[in-house]
Amino acid sequence: MLFRKFSLIIYALLILIPLVMVALTSLKTLQETFRDPLGLPDDGFQWSNYSAIFQEQTMAGYFMNSSIVTLFSVVLTLFFASMIAFGITRMNNWIGNLLFGLFTLGMMVPAQVNMVPLYSLMLDLDLTNSLLGLILVNIAVTLPIAVFILTGFMKTLPRELFEASTIDGAGNWQIYMKIALPLSLPSLSATAIFLFVMHWNDLLYPLLFITDNAYKTLPLALLEFQGEYSTNYPMLFTGVILASAPMVIAYVFLQRFFVAGMTAGAVKG
Amino acid sequence: MKISKMIYLFFIPGLLLYSIFFIYPTISALFYSFTDWDGLSDAYQFVGTGNYERALTGDTIFRKTVGNNLKFMLVVVILQTIVALAFALIVLKNTKTNLFLRALYFFPTILSSVSVAFIWSFIYDPSLGILNQILELLGLDVLRQNWLGNADIAIYSLAITQVWFHAGQMLIIFVAGLQAIPEDLYEVAKIEGASKWQTFRKVTWPLLAPSATIVIAYTTIQSFKAFDLVFAMTGGGPNNSTQIIATYIFDVAFRSYNFGYASSISVLFMIIIAAITFLQFKALRSDRISY
Amino acid sequence: MISKKNSFTALSLASLLALAGCAGESPDDSGSETDSGSGDGTQISFIHWRGEDKAVFDDIIAQFEDEFPDIDVEMNIYPSEQYQATGQRMLTDGSTGDVFTSFPGAQFEAIASAGFFEDLSGEDFVGNFDENLITVGEKDGQQLALPYQLVFNMPVYNKGMFDELGLEVPKSWTEFQEMADTLLENDIVPIAFPGADIGPNQFMNSMMMNNAPDEDIFTKLQSGEESLTNEWWVKTLEDFQLLEQKGYIQPDALGTSQDSAMAMVANEEAAMLATGSYHMASLLGLNPDLELDLMAPITVEESEAQYEGINTATFMLAVNSKSEKKEQAKEFIRFLSRPEIASQYANETGQHLTVNGVEYESEVLQNTAYWIDERTTRFQPRFLITNAQIEAAVLSSIENVLGGAEPMEAAEEAQQIVDENRE
Repeated sequence: MLFRKFSLIIYALLILIPLVMVALTSLKTLQETFRDPLGLPDDGFQWSNYSAIFQEQTMAGYFMNSSIVTLFSVVLTLFFASMIAFGITRMNNWIGNLLFGLFTLGMMVPAQVNMVPLYSLMLDLDLTNSLLGLILVNIAVTLPIAVFILTGFMKTLPRELFEASTIDGAGNWQIYMKIALPLSLPSLSATAIFLFVMHWNDLLYPLLFITDNAYKTLPLALLEFQGEYSTNYPMLFTGVILASAPMVIAYVFLQRFFVAGMTAGAVKG
Repeated sequence: MKISKMIYLFFIPGLLLYSIFFIYPTISALFYSFTDWDGLSDAYQFVGTGNYERALTGDTIFRKTVGNNLKFMLVVVILQTIVALAFALIVLKNTKTNLFLRALYFFPTILSSVSVAFIWSFIYDPSLGILNQILELLGLDVLRQNWLGNADIAIYSLAITQVWFHAGQMLIIFVAGLQAIPEDLYEVAKIEGASKWQTFRKVTWPLLAPSATIVIAYTTIQSFKAFDLVFAMTGGGPNNSTQIIATYIFDVAFRSYNFGYASSISVLFMIIIAAITFLQFKALRSDRISY
Repeated sequence: MISKKNSFTALSLASLLALAGCAGESPDDSGSETDSGSGDGTQISFIHWRGEDKAVFDDIIAQFEDEFPDIDVEMNIYPSEQYQATGQRMLTDGSTGDVFTSFPGAQFEAIASAGFFEDLSGEDFVGNFDENLITVGEKDGQQLALPYQLVFNMPVYNKGMFDELGLEVPKSWTEFQEMADTLLENDIVPIAFPGADIGPNQFMNSMMMNNAPDEDIFTKLQSGEESLTNEWWVKTLEDFQLLEQKGYIQPDALGTSQDSAMAMVANEEAAMLATGSYHMASLLGLNPDLELDLMAPITVEESEAQYEGINTATFMLAVNSKSEKKEQAKEFIRFLSRPEIASQYANETGQHLTVNGVEYESEVLQNTAYWIDERTTRFQPRFLITNAQIEAAVLSSIENVLGGAEPMEAAEEAQQIVDENRE
């Protein structure tokens, strides 16, 4: 028991120490960061980094863009992926397996490879500098991992459940909505968190497709703190904290949800 | 059991987007792997299997990157799976403390990889860095290292960062999998007087296999694609000791303007990941059947 | 269970509605990014990689837009690695990067062969640049790009500290080592070397400039006439080995980033920073009391030394040949090349420029301006390697030696990679 507690605390410290360091750095001046990277700020906490970022008007717009892209991408990916996972589980034959393989293979394609052809395609479809374009690409790119996780979980659901409902005369759509989705709530929440993280932090595709300031997302904005020959660490870490804040709030929210889903499963079990 | 043909409708929206925005560009890349396209101009020539021959027979760095990738993968997969599973078992019950701890352990995952790279470069810095300073405070000077600058250990330092970054995410998957195991099975085991280890072997593990498969497969793939972290922390150095396939593809495609060749390396890269993932699936599946 | 399901549906619906609400608003705020006023003129896109220059460019662009109300400039900045990956990609259709920047060397060659440079020869503003410094943007007799910044890629040193210790700038390799020994005796690290990032690619230039005075050496290396296992490069690697073994560079140098190397010099723990003139402004930002100058190690006898330092004309301004707004794009470059605008840029960024008639206000720029025309400097040899894989192999051999390998062994290993990548 003692060993357990000890390891829990060690792990917690491993996470907290670097984060405290980030928070402290964001409250220092650049000079102090280099003079004494770990110490407390001598001249008091410098909140100026935060106010400087808030004063930048465009920041609110970046936040909005990130939120729109992330929420749409997550919800739609989950929706499409859970339908596919349900289809694969229901069919349970070679066609299903083939489709599963097709999506699983997608996880293995390095993004560096298809980004050049993808860029030409987006130009042809006139989807650059558009939030819709980002959302469509996000869905396509994260479908493989979502299908992979959701299929894995749906396959563990007892088949009799689906079959009994079919005898009751329920169509596929009803089985999907009334049985498959509610029972998959734990894995849906887990996948949602996954996707949320990926879409919120994604840098590659905004970097490729967005040049108009009106459509920039937060990770793109963070890059502006990075110079060619020097990095303003306090400013950058302030940006990191502000960009992560909505994620923390959302996670706390989803976590509660996540537990609700789990209890739903337990009632059934 | 006959299933209505309407089931195919479930695939349409996803498959459509996937085909346009993923499969099509990927197949284009496959096509370019047989050319000498520079990635910029309009013209290119077919070179047959030339790019593949070069990668397999005449490219010292490519061979080195495959080795580096395997080292990185092994350390990350083993360490991350053990950490995630062990801690998932400890924080399994939905008590207030456990919920808090889960949220905390998950926290690094929500940071962007660029942020994590900045944080850890700062930690590993030989003189300013917190890691060496802590080791000195604890009187463990012998363990002081040039974490990212020593070609023999840099790849492992990166692996540790990767585990710090993603173990919490895998922990969540394990928790979800473990909580799906019905309570009554544990009660039966208790009544039969099974030891903790026996309960784990006979009840937990067989039912955990699906989430373990997900975790291991995903960790493997993630470790192969740890581009951002490696790129931002070491850029593949020193002396290519942390160059992984993904960073090498980037270099070849965008620094050397050899997009055709980079595409052929990517195809080989996919084959390597697919082979490893397939082997893991087989191993984990046979493990499940044996119960 | 049913209520759980309903709450899930409700939540999804609510979030969808919320999203729809946001999405409905987004098209309207497209005007909000133009802080410039006018709005309905032609918009040109300007892309580059200098994050540290954002403020000064914002100001210059505002002045430009005041004077040319019909032209709006939208600036996008990418860190240099990202710029390499995506910058040129955006040039392909002409919608982005009407005005763009290029590095000399491999990037310049690739963009030139893809035909994205508009020929600027004969434009009146070319005359605003120092003709000797812009040849790097020339190809086949055409002026494809105009380098804006003039950088000295050689160590920055703490002149105040040298004066205090009675040290002179060394003129030979023997004198250099004596100087380094004196610094070590005073508990000062002679050279802060950021081996984790830009150290090798910056310091190799001054380390090799006199070991291989032939300016075509890398062209010959790429054609197979020369080898890294020959005297000129093995000697350079031996010199690096000596720096490491004698402790002239800080311990664990390969793990040191440019930011922490800068901190060492700013805190006066180290005397030299093995990067370049572009760091002088940042160093003064960290410690305003420093007195700085530039100095390259002379790795040969005084009588054999041909060069005193390294220069690079970089941040090359160019017009995208696929652009539909070339006249406006040229107008912007013409504006940037005005002496008063160039002076503002130079003084606020702490850089020397290739533009004629620039007034350097800061002490450090004035004090180092003598390097522009009074000293014999050599164009950065590294940029004469046009194949990036070969460049990487050359740099790796330095890291290999600093990591403990024997110079000859490292040279052979690197030559093998050079051979694999020769055309």
